Amino acid sequence: MFFNSLHFAIFLPIVFLFYWFIGNKSKTNQNFILILASYYFYSCWDYRFLFLLIFSTLLDYFSAIQIENSQTQFRRKIWLWICVSINIGFLGVFKYYNFFISSFTDLLNSVGFHANPLLLKVILPVGISFYTFHGLSYIIDIYYGRIKSEKNFIDYSLFVSYFPLLVAGPIERATHLLPQLKVKREFNFEKAKEGIYQIVWGLVKKVVIADTCANYANEIFNHSNSMNSLSLILGAVYFAFQIYGDFSGYSDIALGTSKLFGIDLLKNFNYPYFSRDIAEFWRRWHISLTTWFRDYLYIPLGGSKGSKWLKVRNTFIIFLVSGFWHGANWTFIAWGFINALYFLPLLLLNRNRNNIEEFSLGFNFNSIRILFNILITFAITCFAWIFFRAKTIHDAISYIKRMFTNMNFSEQYLAIERYSYEIVLMLLVFVVVEWNSRTKIEPISGKYSWLKLGLCMIAIVALGVFSDYKEFIYFQF
Amino acid sequence: MKKFLLFIVKSLLILLLTMCLLDALYTLVYEQNNDRNKISYLYNSKDKQYDVVFLGSSRVNNHFVPKIFNDNGYTSFNYGITRSRLEESALMLKLMVERNYKIKNLIVQVDLNINTNDHSEAIRSLFMPYLHQSESIRNHYKDIPEYTKLLYIPFYRYLHYDSRVGFREMYFSAVHKKTNALENDGFNPLKSHSGKLIPADLSKYYPKRNIAYEEIRAICKKNNINLIAITTPMCMTTINRDYFNHINAIYPEIHRFENAVTDDKYFATCGHMNKAGAIEFTKVVFNAFFKPKSHS
Repeated sequence: MFFNSLHFAIFLPIVFLFYWFIGNKSKTNQNFILILASYYFYSCWDYRFLFLLIFSTLLDYFSAIQIENSQTQFRRKIWLWICVSINIGFLGVFKYYNFFISSFTDLLNSVGFHANPLLLKVILPVGISFYTFHGLSYIIDIYYGRIKSEKNFIDYSLFVSYFPLLVAGPIERATHLLPQLKVKREFNFEKAKEGIYQIVWGLVKKVVIADTCANYANEIFNHSNSMNSLSLILGAVYFAFQIYGDFSGYSDIALGTSKLFGIDLLKNFNYPYFSRDIAEFWRRWHISLTTWFRDYLYIPLGGSKGSKWLKVRNTFIIFLVSGFWHGANWTFIAWGFINALYFLPLLLLNRNRNNIEEFSLGFNFNSIRILFNILITFAITCFAWIFFRAKTIHDAISYIKRMFTNMNFSEQYLAIERYSYEIVLMLLVFVVVEWNSRTKIEPISGKYSWLKLGLCMIAIVALGVFSDYKEFIYFQF
Repeated sequence: MKKFLLFIVKSLLILLLTMCLLDALYTLVYEQNNDRNKISYLYNSKDKQYDVVFLGSSRVNNHFVPKIFNDNGYTSFNYGITRSRLEESALMLKLMVERNYKIKNLIVQVDLNINTNDHSEAIRSLFMPYLHQSESIRNHYKDIPEYTKLLYIPFYRYLHYDSRVGFREMYFSAVHKKTNALENDGFNPLKSHSGKLIPADLSKYYPKRNIAYEEIRAICKKNNINLIAITTPMCMTTINRDYFNHINAIYPEIHRFENAVTDDKYFATCGHMNKAGAIEFTKVVFNAFFKPKSHS
């Protein structure tokens, strides 16, 4: 069941009505209805994976209590490692086993040993990377004594399986979400309205921006050998907007949906393409994952304390792991590596926290400098996205090589019966709308909200892609 | 909560209103346009008289030169559409009857397309703007699963087929952006190939009874149209040319022209001739069934 499906459009109002009209007597009723809805939502993909989700929930729930009740540090550590190992083990088997085995076989073959790899024919359970990280953050927080373990199993189950964030995040923290689940939610009109606006804007991003760009980006990436430089540049830009529209659109729908139930989720995107350097980009892109890696990997590794070499090592580790988290392919690792390289100069020059404050533009030299920095950051981000989108490293390198050597910048007609430049104007309008609303969560609220809501609906209906249905990209992770 | 429910009702009303207005706007635009494709041209015309009409897929669109017929005193038009199947050809014919066309001879291509009873989504979509107005189109599609939604949900047909009749096509129709679909009386020539032809493989093709073809046959009989069903040329390296023998086993009345043009120089691809090939082929077909009116 996808957020942009008719199925979800029927499911959501039903859950909403049950939640506020039948479940509103107590917090337990509300949570129970949300758990049932979440399990139904998840089982719509594949009911068999529901058992995996429930097992993961039970494991983390009992491990957390055991960690808290353990009398010695040794026992606490044992329980932590049991829980972490099983969680990572599941992730490893379902997501990374085939990658490691085939990479190892390739290595053996390259040195003359012939081996037949035993590859598993398993489907990746949707959302496994997200709910595993959910559970891990909870267990690690318990271990370090940052929070108390949750004794109420219903509340804890909802924390793990809450349907708006179950399949593609945001990756929530127990410290943020659990306290909200411990109290009865009261209906708040303004919050619910804000939720609807966010859902509508998320749909604009998904079906208008992401899916339109996907048609062009797919065509260009799949036939990159016959594309000229202009088309290849546009292909990278289109993919940048596709992945942004797709994932931030998904996050907006998730956050908006959650607001309908009176629950706030962590912000996941903060207009990342208006970043002035790559460090700022990573503070604005997939925020819940970036902060997860910061808190549970980077800081435990020493963070920015210690020698320069240690900082560099930690930065590379975090970006490589982040790349690998996205998928079992060398392309994602390369993408992480490139981003680490981008980050390196800022780190070495101690300029990685230069652009923290918000900015405004005027008619002065500083504004030109800011715009230039934004464009440069966007350009290098697009370059890195080529690795993320390409099927193999070889494909990515061929794409880049042709982009820089073809040097033909004429218009090109694609096999999808469109010119490669056709959607540039639409993207410019989108950028202007985002720019004007960059201090808000979405552009609809405020003055003339009915008009803006109507325009968004017209955009979804008239400009959206419906005939060629596309899944959310991050569901595969 | 009451306030919120009211807000939702208002939002849904805006959505419904949007869809109704857009539906009306798109339909109006498509009804005003007759130069974007052969279906819009056909729908927005009436009372045409033809001695010969050609129907079929790209193997008609690229292969029949109406000028040759016209020069010999026969009014003709090539209504072949690339990617269309016999299902769409049948609907084209129904629409012609509905628009009160007077047709003496119908040349319909029946070769690779009787491999399937399926339809073409791309071509079906082009009929959708006229779904409400044309009884023939409504009757033709009344049994498809999406029919009720396509007919009764405002704008659904434009959403469902957005890649073909969505905003982009509506915009081009509104500004009357020209296409080459109607040039040369509907004939769209292909350029010559460069290099060797890649042989077409028909070993997975099995001719079968085709409902749409039988429908075409029945319509022609009812409306006194002389039906000439023919196969069209394939290059000589085609694998499993025996396929064409099987066609005649099912429909003996189909005239065989797959060998009418053989030289590779006349082909753009193995299944499609270039302009020179199309001219050669049209002459062969003309001479087989017609006589120049000036000489008679």
